[in-house]
Amino acid sequence: MNQGLLSVTSAFSRVWLRNAQVYLTLWKFNIFPALAEPILFIFVFGIGIGSYIDQMEGVPYLEFVAPGILGIAAIMQATFECTYGSYFRMRMQNTFEGIISTPVSAAEVGMAEIAWGATRGLVTSTLVLVILAFLGVFHNPSVLLLPVITLLAAFNFAAIAIIVTSRIAQMEYFHFYFAGFVLPAQFLCGTFFPISRFPEPVQVIAWIIPLTSFVDIMRSLTLARITPSLIPETVWALGSTIILTELAVRSMQRRLVE
Amino acid sequence: MIVEAKSLHKRFHDVVAVESLDLAVERGSCYGLVGPNGAGKTTTMRMIYCLNRPTSGRLSVFGLDVLKEPRRIKARLGVVPQDNNLDPDLSTCRNLEVYARYFGIGRADAATRCHELLDFMQLRDRADSPIPALSGGMKRRLVIARALVNNPELLILDEPTTGLDPQVRHLIWDRLLDLKEQGITLMLTTHYMEEAQKLCDRVLIMDHARAVAEGSPTELIREHVSPYVLELRAGRTLNAHITSRFGHMEHRSSGQNLYFYGGSPDEFDDLLAAYSQMERLLRPSSLEDVFLKLTGRDLRL
Repeated sequence: MNQGLLSVTSAFSRVWLRNAQVYLTLWKFNIFPALAEPILFIFVFGIGIGSYIDQMEGVPYLEFVAPGILGIAAIMQATFECTYGSYFRMRMQNTFEGIISTPVSAAEVGMAEIAWGATRGLVTSTLVLVILAFLGVFHNPSVLLLPVITLLAAFNFAAIAIIVTSRIAQMEYFHFYFAGFVLPAQFLCGTFFPISRFPEPVQVIAWIIPLTSFVDIMRSLTLARITPSLIPETVWALGSTIILTELAVRSMQRRLVE
Repeated sequence: MIVEAKSLHKRFHDVVAVESLDLAVERGSCYGLVGPNGAGKTTTMRMIYCLNRPTSGRLSVFGLDVLKEPRRIKARLGVVPQDNNLDPDLSTCRNLEVYARYFGIGRADAATRCHELLDFMQLRDRADSPIPALSGGMKRRLVIARALVNNPELLILDEPTTGLDPQVRHLIWDRLLDLKEQGITLMLTTHYMEEAQKLCDRVLIMDHARAVAEGSPTELIREHVSPYVLELRAGRTLNAHITSRFGHMEHRSSGQNLYFYGGSPDEFDDLLAAYSQMERLLRPSSLEDVFLKLTGRDLRL
């Protein structure tokens, strides 16, 4: 039997549609709370702390942190959806078991959950993007490419979350994941200041976490600064997403079909 | 054969769930798996609907290998799992429609099918109810309706009526017999021997991961127990007294009760005359007697 990503057919979209259908009936509960954190970041860092910082890397602070706030909005939404959300569907509601008793495979369920987490990340980060645009942060047409990057960043973190979700025996392990990885990633990845401030070993760790590449790519789009470092960053952003998705899909397969 | 297993094994880490199992289910028949908790019934069913992978042996459904063609197999069967796994985020009718979509059934066909099935399972008035508002019996009927959404050739039911009231149980039995009449093959597990006896053409008794006996309910009764049973509720002290007098007859004692077995009702005449005051029941043997004889009365801990 084919395994992993190669075995995934378009049947995964049927599960994605199920999630979308549920989301739309509850959209009020889903959209506004998700915007609270990014809006808080805009006020606290961009406008609050930002008023004490003249410039960072030659631009007003809010313009510097805007890609960081966008990246965080995308990955946090995807992470919540594919940790607690997916775990709830898998373990508490047994929804996945019902689904894989049909022609839809476990790998397709994994793929659908990742795609759905990515979709939610895209929705939230796009709303944040609109708010930032109203604040006059963007000056270059290249910002129109930002949703592509936030979608990919959300996809990447959704895949990491599914790897965790499909491996843990109880929900409490998510505490370690959030404290040990998600929270540090939010602040270590060049979101609020350049990672060149860190000692070398920490910089290496930051570059391994794909969010650093995503934020840097977004920053070069918002500031219209094209540098050679974009090439390895893009390769790592895309490559890690594919590798992580493959691992996540296989992991879900192992979890659901013993 | 719709389902065929040859020396089927399933191991979870170091636990053997199913061992050397052979079974064959004929098209259009109803096949029952019975056995104490932990005997391996659910694992066997889950291997058939491709949610557990056999460790060794051969298992084919519709002539297709479960390891190679799970998608084609699952497209043609319906599953009623032991625990209801309805989608609590969707209403009754949406549950069926969304489930139909997993089979690739189009929106219009799904809507028609949804109404047919809600009628069939007498849930028509509940089409828009949220799942948590349904009673246990309604949920079970809805799970059965959902399993029929793709017009399956084989319907797998893992304890379809456990914990339900007699009205719902009889409704479900009626519907299952309707389905059988339509030519659908049924496979079920149950703890109710009455259910197995009523519905099943063949029954497989499992214990400790293995098959213990197989046959039609009447064959099993004929082969393994005497045709009649006399149950006496004598109490522990009297039990010893009775067995000292009638110990030559085939009997078994179990706590407060004594069971005597005989080929015809008049074999019990002397016994009944001697203890005419005692609470007693003379009845034909049932599948339950076979079950208890073959799997013992000990609780599974």
